[in-house]
Amino acid sequence: MEMETNGILPGRTKGKATLRVRSLAPYSAEFTSGQIGVIADIAEQYGSGQAHVTARQTIEIADVENSTIPEVAALLNNIGLFVGSSGSFLRNVMACSRWCLYNVRPVSDLAQKLNKLHADRQLPGKTLISLSGCSFSCTRSRTSDIGVIARSNIALTDHPCIHCTLCVREPLGCQVEAITLTETGPEIDAQRCIHCGFCTTICKPATIGLNGTSFDILIGGSGGITPRAGVFWKNVPTEEAVVEEVDSLLTRYAAVAEHGERIGAVLARSGAGCLEEVGHG
Amino acid sequence: MDEKAVGFTLEMPKVGIIRGVKAKDIEMVGGKVVNLRTCARPYENIYTVTQLRAIQGVSKKYGSGKVHLSPRHNMEIPEIKNKHIDEALRDLYVAGLFPGGAGTSVRNVFTCPDWCARSVRPVQAIGKMVSTNFGDRDMPNKFTISFAGCPNGCSRPHNTDVGIIAVAKVTIADQGCPDGCRECAKVCPVQAVGPTEGRVKINRPACIACGRCVKACPEKILRSEETGFKVLIGGKEGATVAFGAVIAEFAKDFELLEIIESVLRKYEQKVTPRLAGRKKKERMSEVIERLGIAAFLAD
Ligand code: SF4
Ligand code: SF4
Ligand code: SF4
Ligand code: SF4
Ligand code: SF4
Ligand code: SF4
Repeated sequence: MEMETNGILPGRTKGKATLRVRSLAPYSAEFTSGQIGVIADIAEQYGSGQAHVTARQTIEIADVENSTIPEVAALLNNIGLFVGSSGSFLRNVMACSRWCLYNVRPVSDLAQKLNKLHADRQLPGKTLISLSGCSFSCTRSRTSDIGVIARSNIALTDHPCIHCTLCVREPLGCQVEAITLTETGPEIDAQRCIHCGFCTTICKPATIGLNGTSFDILIGGSGGITPRAGVFWKNVPTEEAVVEEVDSLLTRYAAVAEHGERIGAVLARSGAGCLEEVGHG
Repeated sequence: MDEKAVGFTLEMPKVGIIRGVKAKDIEMVGGKVVNLRTCARPYENIYTVTQLRAIQGVSKKYGSGKVHLSPRHNMEIPEIKNKHIDEALRDLYVAGLFPGGAGTSVRNVFTCPDWCARSVRPVQAIGKMVSTNFGDRDMPNKFTISFAGCPNGCSRPHNTDVGIIAVAKVTIADQGCPDGCRECAKVCPVQAVGPTEGRVKINRPACIACGRCVKACPEKILRSEETGFKVLIGGKEGATVAFGAVIAEFAKDFELLEIIESVLRKYEQKVTPRLAGRKKKERMSEVIERLGIAAFLAD
């Protein structure tokens, strides 16, 4: 088999490759209409007219002649797109769309920061970072090497409930049935609540109030050959803190992992302690 | 217009228009913009140049010039003004694209692209067949089906309602290995194969049937004459994670449709609301968790 370089995957025919394309701008999960147009042009001129949207928010262009790869890469780079996201490199940072109704807060800026800092950083093993705007984890934060989930800290206030019932009925009511309406107002089942904060955006009188947001970081998840659910690592208050924490995790991981070992395997072998920043408790 | 000739009908599916909001403007619930999730019908994971250009055009003309790639390989075109929605849909229809992939129905069927060098066998065609048979069928809750071309599982078959993984039956020819060759051992992801005293051996319980050793063997001692599908059910990823349970180890193509049909029926029969008195029904993973896999599969 031919050697795989980052983002250039062995093709189905000899002398041709599949190019995996990631978006550095606007951000990892979003393309502009113009970029889609260029991908169409490239697929038509250099490939076989076909493109695949991958499970990790990249686009693959198939059947590109090896000799034309530098030319195609240059065309892509001109418009903020890059060939990458394969092998033992940091893969495309997954993120929710900016406009999903459930976003506790959009994670697009955070995705862009992380992608800019770490895109295609070489690591001991395949490394996936996924950011979710809420607990539903559509971007698979719970089965990624590093998952980040935005979380609303909700709190009942003394503003009286007007019994509009919006928070308990379709289509906008609590998705996990954590709210029960009583005569005196809402009661929240802390066991069920997943901190999506959606109730706080629809509750007009702010009986259910928003007491800030934060991020849960999970580590060690994966799909594929050894599927694992990520385990809770830390809750941090701000995007800056997420950026710092991810940087420290990647650095520690690179230092302690054996060749080919993913974060989940490091955890299984040595426990989470070895990923703590050196010098901290 | 002869609808048959273009291979799809112009009836507008009920699923797929997800509630629209203006980016960063949560007050716009039910307002004047919608986001369109789009994909080919029957579902295909490959977009043609014409389709890409249609998406480009709709996003530019009627939307905000942005396109989001969803983790389940559809594209979302955000912020289309309500008054342009018909034109937007028409432009997409003409390219063979439809809104879809949202709501409580069988979502777009995920398949790996056949061009992946690791794939054990092509899965696009059978994925399309499954999509033709089951796509958009109304279900008690959302329902996802993913095909993986090999056990690497890029399409997340462990965390979908029905995960289908192509596997290879590897056989060993009665022949010795040349001195020094260890190609199969080098590529095996689970260290299950390698030569001892000039003869190759496979540790069958450890082998995940990915067929990588077959592709690497220069002597064609390792062979894969037959492929099949491993079928898992009841996986999900959302507020919680569940990994699917294996219900078939080596299903053939024709058995798959039957297996899927029977799983869908069992789910429809055995599902209950999540909380007594509420409308929202369980995901299949919750039914299986409640009953256990054996009781779920029982008649
Ligand atoms: S994880 Fe939450 S915010 Fe992100 S796409 Fe899913 S529902 Fe929307
Ligand atoms: S924050 Fe908790 S109670 Fe409110 S809608 Fe989300 S899950 Fe329900
Ligand atoms: S808690 Fe808020 S949303 Fe729920 S019924 Fe009372 S006022 Fe309405
Ligand atoms: S699951 Fe296997 S065949 Fe499918 S994309 Fe991944 S490596 Fe390729
Ligand atoms: S098929 Fe071959 S490479 Fe794959 S796990 Fe089995 S022995 Fe290893
Ligand atoms: S089975 Fe094939 S790849 Fe493995 S050692 Fe023998 S000749 Fe080499």
